[in-house]
Amino acid sequence: MSEVVQPASLALAVSRPKTAPFDWRRAVPLLLAAPLLVYMLVFYALPVAAMLLRSVNDPSWTLANYAILFEDVVFQKTFWITINTSVTVTLGCLILGYPVAMGLVRAKSMAPFILVIILLPFWTSVLVRSYAWMVLLGRHGLVNEALIALGMIERPIRILNTPLATQIAMIHILLPYMILPIANALRQIDPSLIRAASGLGATPFMTFRQVILPLSMSGMAAGTLLTFVLALGFYITPAMVGGPRDITLSMLIAQQVDQLNWAYAATLSAVLLATALAILAMARKLPGVGNAFKTSMR
Amino acid sequence: MSKKTIGRRTTLGLLGAGLVAAPFIRPSYGQAAWPEQTSVPEILKGSGEVRIATFGGLMQEVQQKAYFEPFEKITGIKVRAFPGSDATKVKAMVETGNVEWDMAQLSRGSIMNLQKRGDYFEKIDYDIVDPGVEAQYRFEYGLEMLVWAQVLAYRTDAFKGAVPSGWADFWDTRKFPGDRAMFGTNSGGWPEMEFALMAAGVPADKLYPIDIDKALASYSKIKKDVFKWWDTGAVPIQLLTDREVTMTTVWNGRMAALQAAGVPAAVSWNQGLLKRDAWGIPKGAKNKVNAMKFVAYSTMAIPQARVCLGIPYGSVNAKSNEYIPTERLAVLPSAPGIKKQLVNYNYDWWIDNREAVIPKFNKWLLS
Repeated sequence: MSEVVQPASLALAVSRPKTAPFDWRRAVPLLLAAPLLVYMLVFYALPVAAMLLRSVNDPSWTLANYAILFEDVVFQKTFWITINTSVTVTLGCLILGYPVAMGLVRAKSMAPFILVIILLPFWTSVLVRSYAWMVLLGRHGLVNEALIALGMIERPIRILNTPLATQIAMIHILLPYMILPIANALRQIDPSLIRAASGLGATPFMTFRQVILPLSMSGMAAGTLLTFVLALGFYITPAMVGGPRDITLSMLIAQQVDQLNWAYAATLSAVLLATALAILAMARKLPGVGNAFKTSMR
Repeated sequence: MSKKTIGRRTTLGLLGAGLVAAPFIRPSYGQAAWPEQTSVPEILKGSGEVRIATFGGLMQEVQQKAYFEPFEKITGIKVRAFPGSDATKVKAMVETGNVEWDMAQLSRGSIMNLQKRGDYFEKIDYDIVDPGVEAQYRFEYGLEMLVWAQVLAYRTDAFKGAVPSGWADFWDTRKFPGDRAMFGTNSGGWPEMEFALMAAGVPADKLYPIDIDKALASYSKIKKDVFKWWDTGAVPIQLLTDREVTMTTVWNGRMAALQAAGVPAAVSWNQGLLKRDAWGIPKGAKNKVNAMKFVAYSTMAIPQARVCLGIPYGSVNAKSNEYIPTERLAVLPSAPGIKKQLVNYNYDWWIDNREAVIPKFNKWLLS
């Protein structure tokens, strides 16, 4: 590939001899972004780096904290619970979110209304929503009372403080992150393709499977990644509505901070960050996914 | 008790109290005349300010009236109170040299746990502390200032009139059916190993040193019935109110508000743990001298008595009882009739062993 020079870059190389004065116009985007970059560097990147550094240099340079990970059964179980919850929640969001995204794209005059309904929970704090779920899912909450009134159960069933409650509440919180990228991708699909498909005799289901679904793949990928990575870091929701064994990695980190094991807390944070980054990196390798973020930003 | 540790959870707890309990949490001050302190030793007077970290909520409201305001008036030192006291924040403040609190409400356990890792707290100036403060409450790097109890609480409408008493009953889900909640390790909690041991028949005076494996074996018998390992004082109160559990462990001060709201719930003092909060002065506090003065003032008999009148927690000053009406005295964890049913929490054992207990507890919980 290396000998195939792209015409554009060739032209650029020709038109810009090395002695040419610096072209300020090229620096404009960077200058525009500079305040935010500096802000992120000072208030985000540096503190995060300092915190992560604690995992290898507190009190002296060592990898001992990372070695502990391999023996720490609590970490391993917690890590598994976190991944497991995140996968379940992401799948739930995908299954529930996709039809909503389709509805949102097809709804003409209702679209703004639907969008507000989707976004409304977005503007409510996670804490308040978790309390709302406690009211709904409680032993004497709305769901149980309704099921009893309908004669479906005889006595209240335990929903609150189970993994199911965590999943329900997390799906509710994360759904907009799934719906919006999918809706975006669906909106990009050229309507004439769908007309062409039906014109060629495809049933609505075939059109969906062979045209719409593949073309919305990038939106699904973006939504899935976003949802999954956000789910990895959940803290308040599992702590409030989760079951007795629903200890997520972020809860374990908070515990370690509390116990003043800050080096180990930093180690666990590094693991969480690395997991998120690894998933992003792997996802980029999947065909069609690389453009996901580009598509969703359009 | 708004015993709190991590900030996020503090917020959570505060909001929890606000959302769940706000309708019925009403300070009981105003019902009886509070004793007034009319003079203090000249050495306690001064100028400037003192910045105090508290556990917020109702406790801080009571503290405001019980000793923040009177202290300002009588000593000329201004008090600025901040909710969200937390030993981890003290650690961060001292390490970064940006000490924003002159003193903090913590526990002997969290103060000494931090102190054993470095130099994070100032030594208390006992020359100016009131002689009425009992010796058991004094330690080098802090002074205990509030006596409270972690006890069994239950729905009185759950057991057809049967009254649970002690941990064997808590563990007995046949005689006392229903779900349970207990203090967990999520918010840097200290598991209730003592309760597990007493449920297994270990006498109260033989609890320490705690046999961790024996405690966990006892815990295993109740594990499937514990539906919430709570991490902040508002949670068990909410669980009782919403009938999520029939029995739970609680911080006793929270129960008064629940009962005042008419929820059919009661505490059983028997075999509860007697715990304390303490003032600690972070190393390098800007107004260290004023903080010492406040530590001395707030543990005098009258300021302590005023707290007891505002919230059902006990005093560390033996002379406070003179200022508390008998009927009020009878509901405080420091009341002789109640105190003798309680077990003294052994902070020293926990300071030495907490690091060993919590991983074992976590492992047991997840197994």
